[in-house]
Amino acid sequence: MVDKKDLKRITDYLYEIPKEYREDMRVPARIYADERLLEAAFRDRSLEQLVNTATLPGIVGYALAMPDIHQGYGFTIGGVAATRYPSGVISPGGVGYDINCGVRLLISSMEANEVKPHIGTLIGALYRNVPSGVGQKGGIKLSPSQMDQVLEKGASWAVKQGYGTREDLERIEERGAMAGAEARAVSSRAKERGKNQLGTLGSGNHFLEIEEVVEVYEEEVADAFGLFPGQLAVQIHSGSRGLGHQVCTDYVRSLQEAVKKYHIELPDRELVCAPLDSPEGRDYFAAMAGAANYAWANRQCLTHLTCHTFEEVLAGKVKSWELTTIYDVAHNIAKIEEYEIDGQRTKLCVHRKGATRAFGPGHPELPEVYRAVGQPVLVPGDMGTASYVLVGTQEAMETSFGSTCHGAGRVLSRKAAKKQIRGDKLRAELEAQGIQVRAGSMPGLAEEAPAAYKDIERVVDVVHRAGLARKVAKLRPLAVMKG
Amino acid sequence: MPSFRFEEVEHTADLALKVHGHSLEEIFANAACGLFSLMADLENLSPTVSREVHLGAPDRESLLVDWLNELLYLHEVEEEIYTRFEIETLSSTALSAIVWGAKMKASKLTVKAATFHDLEIREAKDGYLATIVFDV
Repeated sequence: MVDKKDLKRITDYLYEIPKEYREDMRVPARIYADERLLEAAFRDRSLEQLVNTATLPGIVGYALAMPDIHQGYGFTIGGVAATRYPSGVISPGGVGYDINCGVRLLISSMEANEVKPHIGTLIGALYRNVPSGVGQKGGIKLSPSQMDQVLEKGASWAVKQGYGTREDLERIEERGAMAGAEARAVSSRAKERGKNQLGTLGSGNHFLEIEEVVEVYEEEVADAFGLFPGQLAVQIHSGSRGLGHQVCTDYVRSLQEAVKKYHIELPDRELVCAPLDSPEGRDYFAAMAGAANYAWANRQCLTHLTCHTFEEVLAGKVKSWELTTIYDVAHNIAKIEEYEIDGQRTKLCVHRKGATRAFGPGHPELPEVYRAVGQPVLVPGDMGTASYVLVGTQEAMETSFGSTCHGAGRVLSRKAAKKQIRGDKLRAELEAQGIQVRAGSMPGLAEEAPAAYKDIERVVDVVHRAGLARKVAKLRPLAVMKG
Repeated sequence: MPSFRFEEVEHTADLALKVHGHSLEEIFANAACGLFSLMADLENLSPTVSREVHLGAPDRESLLVDWLNELLYLHEVEEEIYTRFEIETLSSTALSAIVWGAKMKASKLTVKAATFHDLEIREAKDGYLATIVFDV
């Protein structure tokens, strides 16, 4: 187990586990945290998992952990690992089972106050219109050829069917369609699982929230993003559903053979990987990109259902019921990106597992409207507290492979949360705070209770102070829908 | 030998099960039972449908992960919950079984997958002990 004495303090918000800590480490490991968050990391096995990722062949710089780090399986959650392209490896465990789990933020031109009398009706209608929950199907049914198009074209397939607008596409990471996706690399089992789940929210920590912008920290950037204090907003958190789970299952299994073939020694079988330029590595990348595109199409369809519901409930009652997309980020993904390494532009495969891309100003990948200020970074909190909009920085490009945190990060196990918190009591408490709740399962709600998570403000303060992203705005929930 | 067949183990984000069995066949059956008890209330559920499962894997740990992921796949596409697991043949590299269940959706939790993380099957007093971590 990693001990406090093994850690070297680099700054107030950055600690290092030197390469000498364990013989098989290829690079040092670094964790962004303050003292309190660091304490939390010692309480589970997340640091040991971070050290394990530092052993991946081709890893460059550091195995990084964001302040929302917590124990996962294989990779730590809140982890970033960049490997050299194409000689380094790609690891399905470094992306996770919910490929392109991510967040979309929609904004209204109205103030939340104008809509507050209708919030109960709105969340009720969203709960009826947006399929959610454990084992939920009820999504858009896809034919085999439509499925192939979703996998290769992503959100633009959805827009072509009339689910949303072309302007939405401009404001999605990768414009909603990652290059290199190949439908043939996705198994028929994965396609079977995904064929009627497009446009469904899912369960667990996935949610749909109606929110209010309660604070703006940087007016100029908020302006560029279209944010103002008091504004009504909607946040959607979902991923690639059963299709993504099956893609990861398939490749974690098939790469068990690849590590033997390529003589890769690993401390944990869940870290299985293959060289990016091997047939196995290329196939996984093509399948993962397909699942990521499915997730972007999914959030596009969820956006459409949300906009449609706003119109159904608010038309004629308020002056504007339209919602527009600010941005859409992936926080479980692997991307080929270029960074300056030892003075040379170098192509890397950046694994972000529970971490968000945070590109700084001027990056050509950013939509023109945001290029001068940097990428909007969406950090959802737990349902009782707050969520944040941050902006990517040049410093993140130089120190964290353009990455920052993805949320609050769990501190309580689901078992402990259920033991300590009752779903119905929590719902009453949230409603007393003015947060309306619709949930499919009360034990499920208890597992996602605010007390099960780290303090989001502390997490966001660390990335802000460490320069990995800057605070732009804070949002509070008015109504929450959970599967 | 404890009287229970499986127990939930603390894990910050996900779920882990410790599974007990007198034989490897019991380990496979009890692990499956543990998995579905995380997902739905199994009491009063009478099995009305059956499915055959045939699997091959390079080692017994991979076979256990394949078995649980196969059941998760069947559960999702068939919308069934399984409660009875008859392991017909089992070696370190192959398994044949008939599983029994009912048309039902999960009501408690979605399990995304059984993982290889901390995966272990070992001999214990009076039989075997297995540890499996699930992504939920």
